[in-house]
Amino acid sequence: MVKKVLNFLQVGVLATSSYVTSIVVLLIIIFLFNEGAGVFTKSLLEEGFVIAVNKSNKLNAISPKDIKNIFDQKITNWKQIGGDDNAITLFSIDELPNFYTEEEIGSDFEYMDTCINNYIANHPNVLAYFPERNVAKNFQGKMIKVGTLGVFEFVKGKEWLPTARPVAQLGILPLLLGTLMVSLGAILLALPFGLVTAIYMAEIAHPVARKVLRPIIELLAGIPSVVYGFFGLIIVVPIVQKVFSLDVGETALAGSIVLAIMALPTIISIAEDAIRNVPNNMREASLALGATQWQTIRSVVIPYSKSGIMTGAILGIGRAIGETMAVLMVTGNASNMPTTFLQPVRTIPATIAAELGETANGGLHYSALFALGCILFLATMALNLYVQLALKKRNR
Amino acid sequence: MMIGNKKLTQSIFFWLFRIMSTVVVLVLLTILYFVFSRGISTISWDFLTKAPEDGMVKGGIFPAIIGTLYLIGGSLLFAFPIGVFSAIYMHEYIKKGKIKSFLQLMTNNLAGVPSIVFGLFGMALFVNKLKFGDSIIAGSLTLGLLVLPVIIRTTEEALKAVDDNYRMASYAMGASKLYTIKKIILPIALPDIITGLILSIGRVSGETAPILFTVAAYFLPKLPHSIYDQVMALPYHLYVLATSGTNIEEARPVAFGTALVLVMIVLVTNLIANGVRAYYHSKYKK
Amino acid sequence: MKKVILGCALLIASTTFAQNIKIKGSDTILPIAQEEASVFNKMGKGSVSVTGGGSGVGIASLLDNTTDIATASRKMKMNEKIKLSQAGKKVKQIIIGRDALSVIVNPSNPVKKLTRAQLEGIYTGKIKNWKEVGGKDMNIVVYSRESSSGTFEFFKEHIMQKKNFASSVLAMPATGAVVQSVSQTAGAIGYIGMAYDNPKVRQLSISYDGKTFTEPTRENAKNGKYPVVRPLYIYYVTTSEAKVKPFVDFVMSKKGQAIIDKVGYLSL
Repeated sequence: MVKKVLNFLQVGVLATSSYVTSIVVLLIIIFLFNEGAGVFTKSLLEEGFVIAVNKSNKLNAISPKDIKNIFDQKITNWKQIGGDDNAITLFSIDELPNFYTEEEIGSDFEYMDTCINNYIANHPNVLAYFPERNVAKNFQGKMIKVGTLGVFEFVKGKEWLPTARPVAQLGILPLLLGTLMVSLGAILLALPFGLVTAIYMAEIAHPVARKVLRPIIELLAGIPSVVYGFFGLIIVVPIVQKVFSLDVGETALAGSIVLAIMALPTIISIAEDAIRNVPNNMREASLALGATQWQTIRSVVIPYSKSGIMTGAILGIGRAIGETMAVLMVTGNASNMPTTFLQPVRTIPATIAAELGETANGGLHYSALFALGCILFLATMALNLYVQLALKKRNR
Repeated sequence: MMIGNKKLTQSIFFWLFRIMSTVVVLVLLTILYFVFSRGISTISWDFLTKAPEDGMVKGGIFPAIIGTLYLIGGSLLFAFPIGVFSAIYMHEYIKKGKIKSFLQLMTNNLAGVPSIVFGLFGMALFVNKLKFGDSIIAGSLTLGLLVLPVIIRTTEEALKAVDDNYRMASYAMGASKLYTIKKIILPIALPDIITGLILSIGRVSGETAPILFTVAAYFLPKLPHSIYDQVMALPYHLYVLATSGTNIEEARPVAFGTALVLVMIVLVTNLIANGVRAYYHSKYKK
Repeated sequence: MKKVILGCALLIASTTFAQNIKIKGSDTILPIAQEEASVFNKMGKGSVSVTGGGSGVGIASLLDNTTDIATASRKMKMNEKIKLSQAGKKVKQIIIGRDALSVIVNPSNPVKKLTRAQLEGIYTGKIKNWKEVGGKDMNIVVYSRESSSGTFEFFKEHIMQKKNFASSVLAMPATGAVVQSVSQTAGAIGYIGMAYDNPKVRQLSISYDGKTFTEPTRENAKNGKYPVVRPLYIYYVTTSEAKVKPFVDFVMSKKGQAIIDKVGYLSL
């Protein structure tokens, strides 16, 4: 009896363990999406602040982009955003002492609310930005609605200025493009070299050479990404700068090269395994028909192992998209829209790693970084599922 | 004529392959050379056993080594049993079917999750939700989840390699399934399982992104007192030395030394793993 | 053997019972905190541990009680204040010293001075070539810090007058990396805390009014001639005042302030 219970318990432990990975994937989805969803529900306006105009102003809402441009003084007249033809007067709380004396504000700032209220009431063309707690009880201005971020603006926005005040600019298009560029570049560089090396090791090289190369390549697959990043920073970046005589060496190309070097060991091992799985009698049949070794490789070995090679390539892309540290160290992290490979870019993983440490927990910026994490998760998951489905199909 | 042409094409292509492969091997060897040649002069007994001094440009990396050891220990303590149990259940208990393919799918999915996403998740769950703060336990659990799929996979491979005849023979003698697994299958698969464990040490020791927001300290010369303390860790220390500090140039030797220690950990674990594999396989064949 | 056991027991006892003060926060203040802590520890006054992570991390840690003192190179933000007061925590703010920000270029660059307006033009992307500000015909490569760092916020507020940076600006994860990149790139410009100054880069004289240029020297920063100087803050929850008081007093003492100068920052 006791034995049976014990037996049951032991099997129970085994069964529970086998569900841990599924539970973790589920938890990742829950936590990431729960935090990330905040980016679409939290106000874009800095927490605890309001934006107000004079009552006579006919605008009720201003788009986040326009607000940013007004505070950057790129928009200076109300008519540019659909108002009357008047110059915009900007007002923020730090300027209060320029307009009111210390007695008027009060030694403990007790009359600050009234001063702000008066200023807004007296200036018809004002755009004021001040703390919510300083809104007077009999407030005479008009609050401007800023609203929340739309999914579309998030994905299509071209400006990533998460700490811009008063309104954060959260457009991830440059980050998306940066990530895609660096990873695709890496795969385009790594694939031909990786495949050729794999074929060489499996089909052409002397068995002794293979015995020496295989462990070296396995070792390189295990080297931490910070070490590759450090190598990139000191060796690759200056080379890229010199060869292309650029202003800066920290570019998408440098990122692609470092990632390509990192991906080579993975691609080589997966592709080599796929090639070695080609049955020997197929090779022999081809050779017996009078084909040369090269013809056999080209028309028998490669076609036969194609799907295995594809798997390696796609897994390599997945790895590259998610790689963080090495890229953070060599791409320069400028968040502009990338146009060429010889330009600094900012990738999604690098953005998360560089910014998460200094964000206020639970704020809009924090949520935005989790939303970026969701995108990474979904992208790598999709590639992964595709590979697994393709493998299943082949096995049938 | 035709044959001559064919031979020519072949030798052209073979030479091309040789050249490209040589380039690849040279690039990869350059990295090893880069780390070894510049790091070796920094390595000394003091470097390995002293705390950083003078804004981290002098002294050693002892706290970071200890921190990384704690993280290796903590994460494997958690991931190794769960990973091995999970693989045993998936391989020995479930027949082919929907549940099995679902579990395998999820394991593979977890394996594909980028390391920075593990960092985000670890921060949201362990640091913030469970209120562990930045701590060894939060970092170890995050790293443990990261290597879990690796351990499951290698254990499954090890179990697959066990000849089915052993299972049949054991059942024929009237042994229970659990007894068969414990006394017959695991002992045979153990060397390969251990190999997997050793290789995952290399993986855990080098990951930076998952520990950035869950445990890693910039400068903490004191050793931790409890699992709720932060620690320094080698990969993060290298990142810090390469990018911050008041004088990066002066910190270069320490950075190269740290990089070499990291590479050595990977090298040594790989050598041990290959050694274990070779030793047991030769014994097994006899 | 007995001695070893006794020693171990003492060690464990001392670590458990001594009040360990935890400091966490700004990476800018790390060199100061590090040195203050190590002198304080050596004097046998108590034990202090220091970790970085950033100003935001430090203040967030006050909220979860995972630190005793938070250091910050910027003032506490409104939403952080609101959160702390919601948690029923009264926070004390102390300025422990100052840091001057200086603008650096590559030593090969002939430009020696810039006005605030020119700097604004460069960082907003309006000025793209050094010849527009009296230099060689060479593209300007603009380096900045990550947008979440206190150094970034201070530069934005004082030099940029709160205008946003052009998105083509290269964002470096740490000040050390800015120095490194500027020293390697001929057309580069960057801004750093003065403590990070290094012979491989050159500091520029700055003018706010466009007429009088001031060199970023320690004297000029101390006597107020050099305009870009920011305070460095520490924060603690008033309930833990008794615990942190000895260390705070030490930092504010003559000896503590001398350390701030020694590390390259400005004492009060």
